[in-house]
Amino acid sequence: MIGSQSLLSWTFACYGAGAVACLLLRPARRLSVLAGHLGILAGAVLGAALALRVLLRPSAPVEAELPQLLPFVRMSLRLDPLSAFFLLVICLVGAAAAIYGPAYLASHGGAKGGSVRGTVQTVALALFVASMALLVCAADVFSFLFFWEAMTLASWALVVSETDDGEGTRAGLLYVVMAHAGTALLLVAFLVLAERAQAFDFAALRAAGRCLDDSTRTVLFFLALAGFGGKAGVVPLHVWLPRAHPAAPSHVSALMSGVMLKVAIYGIVRFGFDLLAPAAGPLPPAWGWTVLALGTASAVLGILYALQQHDLKRLLAFSSVENVGIILMGLGLAMRLARTGSALSGLATLALAGALLHAANHAAFKGLLFLGAGSVLSRTHERSMERLGGLARRMPWTAWLFLLGAAAIAALPPLNGFVSEWMTFQALLLGGVRLGGSPGLAAAFAASMLALTGGLAAACFVKAFGVTFLGRPRSAHTEKATESPLSMRLGMGLLAAVCLAVGLFPGGVVRLLDGPVRVLIAGPEPSRALTVRGPLVLSSGSAPIGSSISVTGSAALLLAIFAVGAVVFAWPRAAGRRLAPTWTCGVSPQSRFDYTATAFAKPLRLVFAALYRPRRELVRGEGSTTYFLTGLRYAGEVVDLAETVLYARVKHAVATLSRGVRARSTGRIHGYIGYVLLALLATLLLYGRS
Amino acid sequence: MPGAEAVLPALAQAALLVLLGPLVSGVIQKLKARLQCRAGASVAQPYRDLAKLLRKGTVQSDTASAFYRAIPPLVLAAVVCAAAMVPVVVLPAAGGFTLGDAILLVGLLALARFLTALGALDAGGAFGGMGASREMTVAPLVEPVLLLVVFSVATAAGTTDLGLIAARRASDPAVWHSPDLLALAAMLVLLLAETGRIPVDNPDTHLELTMIHEGMLLEQSGPGLAAMALASHTKQLVMMAVVGALFFPIGLAPRPEPLLLVPAALAFLGKTAVLALFVGLVESSYAKLRFFRLPQFLGMGFLCAFLALALRVL
Repeated sequence: MIGSQSLLSWTFACYGAGAVACLLLRPARRLSVLAGHLGILAGAVLGAALALRVLLRPSAPVEAELPQLLPFVRMSLRLDPLSAFFLLVICLVGAAAAIYGPAYLASHGGAKGGSVRGTVQTVALALFVASMALLVCAADVFSFLFFWEAMTLASWALVVSETDDGEGTRAGLLYVVMAHAGTALLLVAFLVLAERAQAFDFAALRAAGRCLDDSTRTVLFFLALAGFGGKAGVVPLHVWLPRAHPAAPSHVSALMSGVMLKVAIYGIVRFGFDLLAPAAGPLPPAWGWTVLALGTASAVLGILYALQQHDLKRLLAFSSVENVGIILMGLGLAMRLARTGSALSGLATLALAGALLHAANHAAFKGLLFLGAGSVLSRTHERSMERLGGLARRMPWTAWLFLLGAAAIAALPPLNGFVSEWMTFQALLLGGVRLGGSPGLAAAFAASMLALTGGLAAACFVKAFGVTFLGRPRSAHTEKATESPLSMRLGMGLLAAVCLAVGLFPGGVVRLLDGPVRVLIAGPEPSRALTVRGPLVLSSGSAPIGSSISVTGSAALLLAIFAVGAVVFAWPRAAGRRLAPTWTCGVSPQSRFDYTATAFAKPLRLVFAALYRPRRELVRGEGSTTYFLTGLRYAGEVVDLAETVLYARVKHAVATLSRGVRARSTGRIHGYIGYVLLALLATLLLYGRS
Repeated sequence: MPGAEAVLPALAQAALLVLLGPLVSGVIQKLKARLQCRAGASVAQPYRDLAKLLRKGTVQSDTASAFYRAIPPLVLAAVVCAAAMVPVVVLPAAGGFTLGDAILLVGLLALARFLTALGALDAGGAFGGMGASREMTVAPLVEPVLLLVVFSVATAAGTTDLGLIAARRASDPAVWHSPDLLALAAMLVLLLAETGRIPVDNPDTHLELTMIHEGMLLEQSGPGLAAMALASHTKQLVMMAVVGALFFPIGLAPRPEPLLLVPAALAFLGKTAVLALFVGLVESSYAKLRFFRLPQFLGMGFLCAFLALALRVL
């Protein structure tokens, strides 16, 4: 049995070895990519083993010193249960991506990409996964920010390296600008705290955080929330996300959407519950309400915009905004309820456990869906759903795995998405009742919006799966598509198995949440609060308050009834079954009769027109009359409200300001001397008297 | 098995809902016919239809995937499973093993709807897509209403378990408050929407301009269509039983004993008859709403349900 300490070093050694091997073997293209991914896989497996060990066996946190890079700072790692939980999530999707990656890069990038691209992407991937894993283990400011930056830059390299057209570059630019604006805010928050603590390690920061006054504490929290929120894709800081995530190779998209957003969530959790928490008493109520409001807005707007996307990967990226919103709803409620007395602490546990579980669940199903979308992309070279269709007959494995992910993300029982949304619903409802008054009303409103989000997510993923995989193929590439290689299916299968397992055995998974919750809030442990009636039944509290579900039991019942039904229907009959074309009013059916993604989402586009403000352009051909059209051109789009309302105005203001500055920059030296004099005078008038 | 004594009544009640589902549809049809001065088909007509469909062969669309055949039994299974969450004649034993609560019920109904819509898209063709698109437009407006109604009633009981809610309300008849009236109004709006009745959907039409649910079933045939039809009969009765459990848990038997079950069954039949009468009367006296007017109608339900919850919480 190796010690946890050496397991930790081996984990990161594997990532490093993968990257180095990939660089050394560069001339042999296939081999180099394969070696790199093997290193990532080994690192992910070891990391997952380590994380499980920390989570399941409560013992002292694992600590390690990193080699000293700079003379004045010591970098150290510390793996407490909270870090271990996020490390597990990273390693899970990392392993799936590593299994999936080589075949994807070979089939997709291989056509036009030279050997350099594959190598660069593999090395960047290894760095990306390793820096995320190191980030959640970081125990001081310097290493946290160092790995935060490494994560951003590695993922940026992956975003811009995938395509040669300008789109990836533009997406990368927006991403890197937004990410660094967020980093700047984080830097301020960290440095203020480090200045108070006179040290860089988190233990000292935590101690300093205890002695802060309330207004400083709140300002620092909001700085951190804005910094991490930008990375997590919280509305209205999400605009980079639907551009950057789809631009990367699909297994990297899976990591960015499934895992990198969770790293930002980890930051919010670490700051809100741990570093900035007061010594005693509840967290400031404004924190919880802000996070809850941001979460609600992100959830509803994210899924509404996802519904109107026709690019499969962009749709998935917008749906990540929604899921981050759901996680933040749980977190916000937990922040409000935590440490407010024994009556509410059980609910805080429920809310926090729901949020953390949803973070893990989202990593699993969003990873699965992005890998599925990548599988479609690599076989058809089409990202637009309007040109896909009929793939369920051509790529059955990809189709059914994608369907599983779609059902999970739509929060349908008996899969994992339902379990975590159920926990969030229960926490919002019971929390609303216990809080009462206007706080209770806010929680009730959040619950109603979560219900709306669930319904819209189901509509969105009926569209995503139905238009992509069912019906008839809409383009030649799609018609000739074949199933993806085994390794890609295995990568998807791993995540699909997690979706099923968490859904069917929630009690076992809840045990993993004990450690993280214990680190964050003092309250009953999730396994005590949630599995009151046995490991297969999930309860929101013991009787008389609280309700329980047995997803396992209902899945068994579902399967039993299905089996009976299937036998009855498959019973041989005199008139057997035959195949016939779909009835299309007597015309021979073609793919153009099938509902498109635009058509499918049209009713909802009209219902929510106030939010979408859809633009529609219909041009008739030359010489058309009312009844005879010679040609018809249709263009329609839905633009993101945040972009038109917020960013366009900011851009306009900045442009106006810089034009004004330019007009007053004449280039003559005495003009500038005049400005300096004026500035000096103003400064003296304002501050010179004391 | 530890939970057998709790699971068996739930299964028996689900079976009851499945068996009686077609009858309720038949009664509503008969009522509508009488209100239109027609003799109408017998109330047993839905059973005959099902029996006939079960004997028939299947014609399947040649573009459908392998999953298509599994959809009807899966939809039926999801609806029957949802039926097991509702107390129909017997209250669950306190503190016992429960299969699920109202959120799981909504989840299972959503699963059935999700699969039905996929089946419609699988066959290809514009009608299926149209039905699926409309159904998935109505669904996000309907599901939150059901959840909010459940929540508003659940706040008093502190649980979302339908059996426990019913038990609490049955034990204390004076728990009717003003929010419950709003919640009931929302529930009645919802009942019409979830059962696919006028003014939301028209179960009798096959006209492509108006249909929602029927549009999704156009390509189903034979036993598959029978399963889908049975699922929608069952779902209708499940929704009625939910109204009963949430608002009128009168006469539910506290224990599964024959002497208590007879009045419970009679009370259930009475409640169902009243709701069927309501549905039939609404169907006969209103026109179907234009599709894009539906959000206003359903929005009214949403508002009532939200106000009920807000009043409960405040």
